[in-house]
Amino acid sequence: MLNTVANNDLGAARTAAKAFIDFNATWCGPCRMLAPIVDELADEYDGQVEFYSVDVDENPDLAAEFGVMSIPTLVVLKGGQEAAKQVGFIPKDALKALIDRA
Amino acid sequence: MSVYDIAVIGTGPGGISAAVTAAVRNKSVLLIGEKGLSSKMRKAKEILNYPGFPRTSGGELADRFQAHLDSMGIPVTEDRITAVYDMGGTFGLQGRSGEMYTARSVILAMGVVSAASIPGEDELLGSGVSYCATCDAPLYRGKTVAVIGYSPDEEAEGAFLSEVASKVYYLPMYKGDVSLDGDNIEVIHSRPVRIERGRLVTDDAEYEADGVFVLRESVAPAKLIYGLETDGAHVVTDRQMQTNLKGVFACGDITGRPYQYIKAAGEGNVCALSCVKYLDETQKM
Repeated sequence: MLNTVANNDLGAARTAAKAFIDFNATWCGPCRMLAPIVDELADEYDGQVEFYSVDVDENPDLAAEFGVMSIPTLVVLKGGQEAAKQVGFIPKDALKALIDRA
Repeated sequence: MSVYDIAVIGTGPGGISAAVTAAVRNKSVLLIGEKGLSSKMRKAKEILNYPGFPRTSGGELADRFQAHLDSMGIPVTEDRITAVYDMGGTFGLQGRSGEMYTARSVILAMGVVSAASIPGEDELLGSGVSYCATCDAPLYRGKTVAVIGYSPDEEAEGAFLSEVASKVYYLPMYKGDVSLDGDNIEVIHSRPVRIERGRLVTDDAEYEADGVFVLRESVAPAKLIYGLETDGAHVVTDRQMQTNLKGVFACGDITGRPYQYIKAAGEGNVCALSCVKYLDETQKM
């Protein structure tokens, strides 16, 4: 399941064994391209990895905390620690590899 | 959003040839390029070896190409592609205009990009360096940005950024006047030497800049699509003009020397036919 983050609150992402955060915005083309892929992955990794979608306009503090300078930015947290980061669109297989490697 | 069978990026001889052949084979084609087809081609004074056109000029040949496209009802979409996204089965093409196009296959025919990267550019791409003002401008609201423009067209992007950013440094990489004015725009006539995090270093000064927009005629192929195999400035293809990515083909100067119009046109033809075969095979699955 994909959780939509509000009020800069990452909540359980910080304590989950593994969490995937998708920093995006409504006006960002590549983010829209990525969205359906992230949705699919959220289903495929159900029970293994927590998925979060962060709109950078609505959650500027989180964007600043994770140093988001371009979107989409994708972050994998492992026990609350940043284990992998990818800036820009990557295809589904590469995204899976990023998550699996972290 | 309509999904095209084939997106052809580039309107030189390779792209035109590919688009014409694809249209002959009844595929829907999105042909993306520039007004007048190819400014580079129009600069060629004399072409001696294009069969059927003895002693023609680049401009004349481009006019004939345009007439050919018109006769077949193939429009040119004026835009520049800054990124191609492999969505698995379809490709998303990000236009400089902000438009996003979708196609089931892609033909790369945008010629060879000669400008080398600025030191620091590749490393900071996506974390301080951007190729698309329309795409990333909102991230720099109230911040300072530098725009390195390789053609006068980029002045519009500079003006657009000045509406969002608090300060814009504009560095023209071309000769001639810059017609950009605004209280928060500063035109700088020096060469960029290096891009660092939060800073642009030129040959005679340093500028604090949260973001640096590098706006070239076209984006280097390796940065255009994730995972594309390249050899220097060229895209690696086989004899069928197939790249290492399924559904992505390339033709013309971008595939390597010799840089000849007739070679580009021939490759464009092969490209389109390979693309048609690919589409027919994937449709069957």
